[in-house]
Amino acid sequence: MHGRNREDRSSQLQVSKVNQERMVLSSERILVTGSNGFIGTRVVDALLGYGFSSIRCFVRPSSRLDGLYKVLDRYSAADTVELFQGDLLSPEDCQRAVDGCSIIYHLAAGSDKSFAGSFMNSALATRNLMDATVGRGELKRFVNVSSFAVYSTLKIQRRGVLDETCPLEDSPQERYDPYGFGKLKQEELVKEYGKNFGLPYVILRPGTVFGAGKRQLSGRVGIGTFGVFIQVGGFNLLPLTFVDNCAEAIVLAGLKPGVEGEVFNVVDDELLTSGQFLSAYQKSVNRFFSVRIPYFVAYHLSCLWEKYSKKSKGQLPPVFNRRRCAAEWREVRFTNQKLRDRLGWKPRIGLDQAMASFLSQFSPR
Amino acid sequence: MSNSHLRIAIVGCGKIADQHVQAIERIANCRIVALCDRELLMAKQLGERCGVLSCFSDLGEMLAAVSPDVVHITTPPQAHFSLASLCLESGSHVYLEKPFTVTATEADTLIQIAEKRDLRLTAGHNCQFTREAIEMRRLVEQGFLGGKPIHLESYFSYDLGDASYTGPVLGNRSHWVHRLPGKLLHNIISHGIAKLAEFLDDELTEILALADQSPRLRSLNGGDVLDELRVLIRDKTGTTAVFVFSTQIKPGLNQLRICGPVNSLLLDQNSSSLIRNVSRTYKSYLTFFVPPVQSARENLRNAWNNICDFAGKRLYQDFGMTELISRFYNSIKCSEAPPIPYREILLTAKIMDEIFGQIYDGDYLKVKPEPVPA
Repeated sequence: MHGRNREDRSSQLQVSKVNQERMVLSSERILVTGSNGFIGTRVVDALLGYGFSSIRCFVRPSSRLDGLYKVLDRYSAADTVELFQGDLLSPEDCQRAVDGCSIIYHLAAGSDKSFAGSFMNSALATRNLMDATVGRGELKRFVNVSSFAVYSTLKIQRRGVLDETCPLEDSPQERYDPYGFGKLKQEELVKEYGKNFGLPYVILRPGTVFGAGKRQLSGRVGIGTFGVFIQVGGFNLLPLTFVDNCAEAIVLAGLKPGVEGEVFNVVDDELLTSGQFLSAYQKSVNRFFSVRIPYFVAYHLSCLWEKYSKKSKGQLPPVFNRRRCAAEWREVRFTNQKLRDRLGWKPRIGLDQAMASFLSQFSPR
Repeated sequence: MSNSHLRIAIVGCGKIADQHVQAIERIANCRIVALCDRELLMAKQLGERCGVLSCFSDLGEMLAAVSPDVVHITTPPQAHFSLASLCLESGSHVYLEKPFTVTATEADTLIQIAEKRDLRLTAGHNCQFTREAIEMRRLVEQGFLGGKPIHLESYFSYDLGDASYTGPVLGNRSHWVHRLPGKLLHNIISHGIAKLAEFLDDELTEILALADQSPRLRSLNGGDVLDELRVLIRDKTGTTAVFVFSTQIKPGLNQLRICGPVNSLLLDQNSSSLIRNVSRTYKSYLTFFVPPVQSARENLRNAWNNICDFAGKRLYQDFGMTELISRFYNSIKCSEAPPIPYREILLTAKIMDEIFGQIYDGDYLKVKPEPVPA
């Protein structure tokens, strides 16, 4: 309880500091796409916490809004927050959605398993949204939420540091990662609109976002494809960011002046290795049989799989390949220095509390 | 034509186009020369991944610039007729994804245009060209059934849990699926109907369709979309057929049963197997012992064939599509009949017209979907 009070006071101080420095008034309209999603609801929560009342939440007509309603109830904001039902693939809906908005937090993303579907829901939807803003003078910031999936770690040395300057994946087709492909293309378009139309964008690349509301284990921990859970490596650090901390970073990226055109990685201060994470998960949730294989074995098996896939013209799809293996399981370190320095971000929730929150969702009620 | 490379274009660069690209890349003596999508970015994203530089957002422009030998149309069905007409008029052969057209009238018109211009058309009924379906056809042609089929059963199920498809469709009432006469069913059932059409006479005397909305779809706010369908068909020769489409049956089914006067066949496309049921009689209690052993032997034979085909790289995900496309290209090169007879394409379209007419407009709709509480 004492800890909670201290944390609340710290949050209040942070809110007060950000309110002094932000570039928009609390009455200005903010659009949040993907607002009913895992991170989106926390972003809305954080915005309401900062005193913004004129928030427009872009939701699909079929979306479940339970999580969002809970947030709105907590702030008694059901009357001031607008729920905008629409489809980002409809240019008309996008035109109406961006009308009068000073900041756009674009979190909606495609989770489709196909390259075309992922591209459509990530890149094409973003293009529609950006097209709708072109020629409107009112937009002060376009916060594009991307992902660590855009990075290539194939050429980063073992235990090297992955930061915002690291190379992006140059062959998403070979990595066989539709989500990463969609996000890469989305980023390319955002940068293009920044260059050609002066879009005041900021790109955030969250690592592995975790918290209550997301139950599945990240693929960076291991895979369950073959009926038994295979943990790869175990010593690789996970680029963890607790969902509330991540939402805080996203919100700051929209409020902080002078960071247009910048890219920020979002990871927390304290991180766990995949072995530590799995161990904590198994202790609290359930013990299940898992096999650990060393990274170099996984790398060579991925190499074999990739070769067979090519030779057999896709009889086995190249779901395991060197690029994916390196991206998910290679031992690299992460930094949030830029996020701290330029946005003044620091994690609100520490690792222990974050893990407790994540694991609590599995407790029997 | 027979020795030259066929120049292929794809119109509509959504999810299914990826499968076409993979299938085409497996076939010798052809290459993709152009991609077209109303949304140029979609064409470009596919072009970037498969190494095709010529991308267009206008079909007329593409046809004028590239003059492809064959155009694969993989757009939503509402555009099939107009796009295919344009391609045929400009001299290209056309592969149309399923459903072939929205109505049988459109299908008939396209076939007439193709025949008039000595061009070839085919429908994306690739389930009929899997290894086991080809084997089934061979056995039927060799007289395994012992005569004309007496009865056919086609089962086709679909899992609504695939949120990548149902999410956008149910979440957006203006999605093209809602504008089809048969809505969700229209986009899915043609595979199952086409399998029946292959063995039915052109002249049908009876079609009775019953449809319903599953509780699962109701819980997903399915509106007026129906997802449970049962159809009874009889042709003029007396052959009867049953078609069952369900989103609820577990484990999922994708089967065709053909019952002949002597023997029967069961095609199971989920497990890529063909079970031959040979009529034999046994004395006394042997009736209960021998047939199960024979069934086990049939299943083992299928498992062994699949293992051998996998090892020989003949068993892969899109074999049916690759085989159909390959046969279609050969029919063009050798000026032969296309792999799917036009009468089957037309009959499939006519049966679907009748089904949707009955379940959405007619008298046979027994259970109307209940409105979902807000």
